[in-house]
Amino acid sequence: MLTQGVGRLIRNFSSQSFLKIAVRILVWCGMVIVTFFPSVTDLLAQFVGLEGNINAVILVGFLLVFLIIFRILSIIERIERDISILARKDSLETLYKGK
Amino acid sequence: MENITKENIYIVIPAYNEGAVIGEVVQGVRQNGYEKIIVVDDGSIDGTFDAAVMAGAIVLRHRINRGKGAAVKTGLVAAKNMDATAVVTIDGDGQHDARDIELVISPLLFEGKDVVLGTRMFATKNISLYKIVANRIANLLIRILTGIWVSDSQSGFRAFDAKALRLLFDVGDRYEYDSEIIRQIARNGLKYKEVPIRVYYTEYSTNKMQKQGIINGVKTFYRLVWNIIS
Repeated sequence: MLTQGVGRLIRNFSSQSFLKIAVRILVWCGMVIVTFFPSVTDLLAQFVGLEGNINAVILVGFLLVFLIIFRILSIIERIERDISILARKDSLETLYKGK
Repeated sequence: MENITKENIYIVIPAYNEGAVIGEVVQGVRQNGYEKIIVVDDGSIDGTFDAAVMAGAIVLRHRINRGKGAAVKTGLVAAKNMDATAVVTIDGDGQHDARDIELVISPLLFEGKDVVLGTRMFATKNISLYKIVANRIANLLIRILTGIWVSDSQSGFRAFDAKALRLLFDVGDRYEYDSEIIRQIARNGLKYKEVPIRVYYTEYSTNKMQKQGIINGVKTFYRLVWNIIS
């Protein structure tokens, strides 16, 4: 995935921005570091001030997931509505053409 | 109020795979003196379109199925563009009696109402207890969500005047449409009246209703709530 993303960036694909590839590198590198050096998470907890209260982190994670689901549902709903509007315009066109 | 006559009243009939009965429904309406009939074929895969054309209706067709609400809205837009001063919506499955159109139009003409809701008389007909209970639950939920108590929130037999036609477009596309109309009545402060209407549950219409079932009822409720919070 990383090589594919970097390759697309080098070939200057319009869908691949530097920000996107940076996020991708950050996520994958983070996973590798946590896998090989689990104690790094203690430093992370200290840094964000949630040491000893990992439940808060999990709850925030859940909240983010719910927000993402809500956002996706909104998008689906908007697309459904747009499809109905298109279907309506299409059917009304036949009326105006007198078919 | 704009002058409402039989000539500028439009009858809108949403239909999805109603090829077996839609011709009779359109004929029934015509026999009662209404010639402006718009059938919206909501992506049917049977002979609904041809049957409605043969019966003499103006037929609009959605290329794909978009739901009852979307079909009714298409019919309302078409009627509005053809200068309708009032619109009556009836279901395409033959459960309604076209003679009742007079009853739902009357409060628009003589009482200054904006919307008339046909109320099916369940008690006098051979209808399953399940159907009656489901309707009562729907009415209760509508009461909680809108603040309005109606006796039959799921009836498709309704009449709207020109004012209501201008205001009632922000509603859902699927079966939540029937309930959302009640919410819009409350939101826009429209004057409404409930009128008892006849209902005929034939084997055909009963089979169609069973397909809607409990899961669709839950979906409808979810969409209704979603449309309020989103």
